[in-house]
Amino acid sequence: MKKEISTLMDGELFEDEAEGLLNQIKRDSDAHKDWEIYHLIGDILRQPEHIHCDLSAKVRERMQDEPVVLAPRGREVKQKMRTFALSAAASLVAVGVVAWMSAQIAPETFPQMAMQQAALRPASVQIKPQSSEYLMAHQEFSPSMDMSGGAAYIRTVAYGTDGK
Amino acid sequence: MKMRAALCGLLLAVAANVNAESLDWLKIVAFAAHQTDYSGVFVYQYDNRIETSRIIHVVEADGEYEKLESLDGPKRKIIRHHGQVWCYINNKMVQVDSQQVRIRFPAFLPEQISTLSANYQAEQIGVARVAGYSSQVILFEPKDNLRYAHKIWADTGSGLLLKAAVLGDKDQIIEQYTFTQLQIGGNIDRSWIGTTAPDSSLPMSQELAKGGTPVNSGWTVGALPAGFKKTMEIQRPMRGKHTPVTQIVFSDGLSAISVFIEPDDGGEDNVGGLSSRGAVNLYHKVVAGQLFTVVGEVPARTVIQVLDSIRYKGK
Repeated sequence: MKKEISTLMDGELFEDEAEGLLNQIKRDSDAHKDWEIYHLIGDILRQPEHIHCDLSAKVRERMQDEPVVLAPRGREVKQKMRTFALSAAASLVAVGVVAWMSAQIAPETFPQMAMQQAALRPASVQIKPQSSEYLMAHQEFSPSMDMSGGAAYIRTVAYGTDGK
Repeated sequence: MKMRAALCGLLLAVAANVNAESLDWLKIVAFAAHQTDYSGVFVYQYDNRIETSRIIHVVEADGEYEKLESLDGPKRKIIRHHGQVWCYINNKMVQVDSQQVRIRFPAFLPEQISTLSANYQAEQIGVARVAGYSSQVILFEPKDNLRYAHKIWADTGSGLLLKAAVLGDKDQIIEQYTFTQLQIGGNIDRSWIGTTAPDSSLPMSQELAKGGTPVNSGWTVGALPAGFKKTMEIQRPMRGKHTPVTQIVFSDGLSAISVFIEPDDGGEDNVGGLSSRGAVNLYHKVVAGQLFTVVGEVPARTVIQVLDSIRYKGK
């Protein structure tokens, strides 16, 4: 049922299916609640200045239990997000926000990427100068030499050792 | 139905063709890298750092000459000619490597290309401008997580590589180098060539001059990632080592893994562990009195997997 409501909100149902579902929502109070919650989440994700207040009392109560949908700190909130994030409006907006954010950071993507990567990669220890002989020895036979020529030697630490 | 099948077939054919065309670019890039005279400044970004260097590459009657020079930080310089490498160490140029066994050029033989297409999905993803030149952008997406993705920007005119990025499995940039200024052909400074020709009086130790000799060492790697083929197995001298080191090189066409095996001399540098610089990961470990070192432009998990599967099979 939840999935169908989500699909309906995506505008991906055929007219007759949509009509049937809307009738069902009107009759089924659970479905009606879902319908309202999905819209509420969509609204919150859009971050309007005001959130519509014409929500049913039940929804308001539930919202008091989990007031900060946008701050993903607790597992509970995350769980909610996972369940509801499929909602069309919500996911659309989320994608929009992410796209907007990446557009914002694009000009200086590299440092950001590098920082993330330092956290993600297990090998964050820099290769020691003593090991650069191995890098040199490896580099000469690496296909990167065919692509970029000597520029590939940039990888060998300080282009060689400090003369041990 | 028939129509659909035909269409699918057509699409597949087109896809195969696209792949082949992207792979052709590799041959063009490799040829250009060896045959073009150029001089330029490039920026290398890795591990949250940035380095700027100047490179000059010229082709003379007796082969290629190349000079790489750092523009920031401590003075660093490398000169290469015919598989021989000189470094600027302690205020003088010292020969650090000499490989007579170098048999790489012409690059990208047909079998390498087929290995490559078995392990990477190659795709031309557009054109872009780099250092004032228009370039073809090609992405090589690996088919497993044991290697990195490579993205290259090749000058549409000369075929020279203008920019290259190595991407991790979350599409994050592991390392990247980009020309910011580049002169192709024309009047390029060659005044430095005579000063470091191989027959000049540069200091060079006897054993280094010999370079490596091909051997059958008896060592094998059990868990090599698919598509990596042995391209070299040599016994070589190494600066700072008293005994020769066995080096076995494996390549999948875009990246290589070198395995070094030497007796453990108990040196303090022989501590095991993983380290990296840009796309290169290095893993050391002493196993039964032997020091194993695995180096490659592959993810950390790959060098670990390779090292842990080194076995002595006997000659």
